[in-house]
Amino acid sequence: MEMLTYKDTRNYAPIDVTKGMDLLTREIVMADTQAPEGYEIMPKCKFCKNFKETDTFIGTCEASMNEPRFIAYPDMTAVTCEMYETM
Amino acid sequence: MAKTLKAVLADAGIPMNFQAGGQAPDQLIDREIQREPHPRVQKLKHIFMGTLSSASNEFPYWYTREYMLHDNDVPVLRRAKSLKTAFAHSTPVIIPGELLTMRKAPYFRGSFPMPWLSEGFYMAKEDEFYQEALKRGSASVDEHSKFGQGGGNVPNSFGKVVSIAGKFGMRQEEIPALLKLARLWYGKSVDDLGNRYEKMVPGYGTKEKIMRNIVCMFDSGFTLPQGREVINYYYPLEYGFDGIIKIAREMKDKVAGRADGDGMVGMNRLYNYEAVIYVVEGIQSWIHNYAKEARRLESLEADAHQKTEFKEMAERLEWIAHNPPRTFIEAFQMIETVHIAVLNEDAISGMSPGRIGQVLYPYFEQDMEAGRITEDEVIELLELDRVFKTSIDCFASVGVVGGVLSGNTFNTVSIGGLDKEGKSAVNRLEYLILEAGANNAMPQSTLSLLYDEKLPEDFLLLAMEVIKTGAGYPAFMSNQIAQEFLKNHYGHEGMNVEDARAWAIGGCLETSACTWKPLHLNGKEYWIPGGAGQPTSVGVHFVSMPKILELTLFNGIDQKTGETVFAPHDKSLDTYEELFEQFKTYWKEAVDILALTNNIQHDIWRKNNMAVFNSLLKPDCLDKGHLINELGYRYNATFNVESAGTITLVNAMAALKKLVYDEKEVNLKEMKNALKDNFGFKTAQEINSFSLADQEKREDGDKKWDKLHFKTLQAPKYGNDDPYADNILLDWENFFCPDCKNYESLYGHPMYPCQISVSTHGAMGSATIASPDGRLAGTTFADASMSAYPGTDKNGPFALLNSAAIWDHAMSQNSQLNIKIHPTAIKGVEGAKKLLDLTRAYMRKGGFHIQYNVVDSKVLKDAQKHPENYRDLMVRVAGFTQYWVEIGKSVQDELIARTEYEGV
Ligand code: SF4
Repeated sequence: MEMLTYKDTRNYAPIDVTKGMDLLTREIVMADTQAPEGYEIMPKCKFCKNFKETDTFIGTCEASMNEPRFIAYPDMTAVTCEMYETM
Repeated sequence: MAKTLKAVLADAGIPMNFQAGGQAPDQLIDREIQREPHPRVQKLKHIFMGTLSSASNEFPYWYTREYMLHDNDVPVLRRAKSLKTAFAHSTPVIIPGELLTMRKAPYFRGSFPMPWLSEGFYMAKEDEFYQEALKRGSASVDEHSKFGQGGGNVPNSFGKVVSIAGKFGMRQEEIPALLKLARLWYGKSVDDLGNRYEKMVPGYGTKEKIMRNIVCMFDSGFTLPQGREVINYYYPLEYGFDGIIKIAREMKDKVAGRADGDGMVGMNRLYNYEAVIYVVEGIQSWIHNYAKEARRLESLEADAHQKTEFKEMAERLEWIAHNPPRTFIEAFQMIETVHIAVLNEDAISGMSPGRIGQVLYPYFEQDMEAGRITEDEVIELLELDRVFKTSIDCFASVGVVGGVLSGNTFNTVSIGGLDKEGKSAVNRLEYLILEAGANNAMPQSTLSLLYDEKLPEDFLLLAMEVIKTGAGYPAFMSNQIAQEFLKNHYGHEGMNVEDARAWAIGGCLETSACTWKPLHLNGKEYWIPGGAGQPTSVGVHFVSMPKILELTLFNGIDQKTGETVFAPHDKSLDTYEELFEQFKTYWKEAVDILALTNNIQHDIWRKNNMAVFNSLLKPDCLDKGHLINELGYRYNATFNVESAGTITLVNAMAALKKLVYDEKEVNLKEMKNALKDNFGFKTAQEINSFSLADQEKREDGDKKWDKLHFKTLQAPKYGNDDPYADNILLDWENFFCPDCKNYESLYGHPMYPCQISVSTHGAMGSATIASPDGRLAGTTFADASMSAYPGTDKNGPFALLNSAAIWDHAMSQNSQLNIKIHPTAIKGVEGAKKLLDLTRAYMRKGGFHIQYNVVDSKVLKDAQKHPENYRDLMVRVAGFTQYWVEIGKSVQDELIARTEYEGV
C-alpha cells in the first residue's frame, strides 16, 4: 500500500499550512512527511470516485448539481462531504 | 555618513529628548509583573507561537458552489443557503488539550478569503499566483524554518506554501481553486458591483484621486463590511438553536403574505425568517461535525483522562447544538461557537465579545454555588479563551490587514461599567478575567475597563497590576462620557439611560450601542448586556488631516505624486483664518464624496451580502423580522467619519500660526519651499526609518533650512498645557464633531466622529511630505488622536491630560490617548496607586480614554534588532495590543520614539 503523508491521514490535526499534530504520538510533525504505516486515510477529493482531474491541482466534482459540473480540487478534505465515495 | 536630525540638533545645542520626568536606568528593564498560565494553556500557547497564519479554500468553495445553484432565488435566501452549505462542510479540527473548541478554518490559526466581497486582488495576481503554485513542489519542507521573524505572518512564499497578501500562507495545491473561485465572482462581488454604481456619483473622479493619494485609507464596504461592534449572545443562551428555529417558524406563520402596513419591506419578513432557519441549521450541522470529531478522538484515545475530556467535549457540543447551555463551560463553548460563526459569515474585524464577565456570570454563580466548578478551573478556561481568540485571523487585503489593523482582530472584552439600575456592574468573574489576562498575556482579548467612580477600588488596583505585566490592557474608558455620547447620538432611535448603561467597547475603542435582555437560568432571572447596534466600522474611514493640509497649502496638488486631487482654490492664504477655512472646505469635500460612494458600496452589500446570523443575534431582528439591511437592529445610526493625524495637524497649524501669521518670521512661500525640499533631508523611505530623530540629511543638503526647521520644531506643541496649541485642537473639535452630522448614511441617519488611528498613522505618514511642525517626509504621524507627538510633551503627564481634555469628548464616539511609561516609574504598590491617580485625574477632567504601554524603550530597540529573541513581546499600539514582531516598521519606529515617562 502506498505510504501516506501526514496531511493525508486522519491521525493528524493541521496546525498550519506546514505542520500539524500526530494525534497518536502527540508530536508536532511536518505535513508533507510520511506518516507511519497503518495511519487512516483522510477522505479527500483526490481519493473520491467523483473527482475528475482536469489540470494540475484542479478538476471537477462529478457529483455536483451544477451545470457544468462544479470545480473541485484534489486536496480538499471531504470528511463532511455526503457524496464522497471511495475508489 | 549623513547626519541624523538628532545629531544636527545636538550640534545646534538643541536637545532632542524622548524621556520625560526623569532618566531611565541604563540597563534593559523588564516588566515588573510576569505570570504563567496553567500548564495545559502553556502547551497550546506554545503551539500558537510557532503557528503561521494559514488560509483555506474550504468555506469559499462550498459557499460558491451552493450560491451558483440559485440564480433566481430571493437574495437573502440565496445567501442563507450558501452559508448553510459552507458551515455544514467545514472540517472540524480539535487539538488535544483544548477544552473550548471550534475554529474558523481547518487549521489552528486559519482563515479564508471571501471572493464574494472582493476578488480583484486574486484576479490581478492570477499569473503570479499560478507561477508560485506550479513551480513549487521541489523545495524542501524544511524551508519553513526560515520563519520566526514576523511571528505568524507569511510574508514570502516558501516550500509548498504560497504567500497571500504578505500575511497568509496557502498550500500550493489550493491556489488554482482559489483563482477559479475568484473568477466566478468577477463582476458579481460587492467590490465590483459597488464600483459599477459608485462611479455614477458626481465627483467620483475626486474619490479615486483621494484613494490613490492616500488622503483616505480604505473602502469599508467591501474590505470589512462589519465589525467594531459588540456581539450579542443572548438568544442562543436563552433559547438555544432549536428555540431560535422554533421562534422563526412561528413568526413565519404570522407574517407570511402580510405587509402589516409596511408596503416597502413588510413582506420580506417571511424570507428573512426562512433565511434564519437555513443559517441556524447550517451552524447546527457544523457543531455536530465537531461533536462527531470529538467522539472519533475519544474512540482513538488511550489516555483515560484525555478520553474523558473528548467525551465531555462531545457531550457539550451535542447539547448546545440544540439547547440552551446549563453550565459555565457549556455557556462558554456556546459563546465561542457563536463568535466564530459570526466571523465566518462576513469579513469582520472588531467583533467584540463585550461584557462577557456579566453575560457568563449567571452560569458562574450557579456552578460555584453548586460546587460544579472552582475558581481555578474558571481561570483556566478564561486563559484558554485568550489562546482561542488570539488564534482568530481576519482575512482581508494587505493594505487593510497590515496598514490599518497591524493584523489585529480587536475581539475586545469590556469589564466594569454600571448595571441596568446604575450600580457598579463589577462581579467576581470580572476579577478572574483580569487574573487570566495577567496569567496568559496574549493580544486577544484586549480588555477595556469601563471606568466609573462607583467601581470598587480593589478592582481598579488589580487592573493596574495587570497593566504592569506590559500586556497593554486594560485600557480605561469613561462610562459617563460614553453614556452622554450614546444618549445624544442615538436619542432619536430611543436610546435612554438604561440602554446607555449597557454599552461596551466594539473593536478597539468604539463606544457601541447595547441593550439588556433577561436571561433565565434555573428559575432565576439575570439582566445581561449585549450589542444592539450596527457595525461602527462603517462610513468614511481614516481621512488624513496632515494630507488635507498639504493639499490646502499647495492649491489642491499632492506633492508626492503631483496629482491635482481637489480643484485649485487659488487663494493666497494670507491669514490663518483663511487657511483654516480652506482646510475645512477641502475636508468637507473629501468627506462628502467618500460618504456618498461608501453608501453605495454598503447598499450593494446589504442587497446581496447581508448578515443573517449576526442579525438574528441582535435585538430586535428576531422580533421584527427584519435583518440589518432593513433596519432590524435597535440602533442603526452607526456610520461615522474617522480622522487620522489629529495632533500632527494641530502642531502643524500651531507652527504656521506662530511663524507665518502671528510673528511673520517666515512667509508662506518659503515655508512651502522648505516642506517641498523636506528641510534638506532624505525621505523616510530612503533610509527605511520612520521616526523623526533618525532622519538623515541629504548629502547635498546645505544648511539653508536648518534655522527654519529648528523654529518649526520649537514652535508650540500640543501636550504641554499650552493654550496656543491646545486652542487649535479645541477649534478643530468644535468644527469636526458637529460637521459629521451633515453627512447621512444609507440608513438615513446622521454620522458622528470617530477618532482613533489604529495603525494608519504609519501608512498615512509614509505618504505625506514634511509638515510645518518640523515632521519630515514619510515619517509617522503622532499616534491616536490625543497622544502627543513623540518627544514634544515636556511638561509631564498631567499637562498632557490638560491639553487632551480641553474639548468636550462626549461630542465624539471616542478619543484616544496613549502613554508610554518606563516599568520603574510605576513599581510596587505605590506605583500602582500613582497610575490609578493619573487615570482617575484624566477621567475627572473629562477625558474618554487612556491606555499605557509599560515598556523600556531600550527593550523595543533591542527587539527591532533581534526579533528572534522577542516572539512573545507585546506592545500597546493604538487601541490594541499586538505582538511586536507582527507589526510594521513604521509603527515600530513610532512606538520606540514615543515619549517615555520615567515618573508619573
Ligand atoms: S463528491 Fe465530495 S469528495 Fe467527491 S469530488 Fe465531489 S466534493 Fe470532492
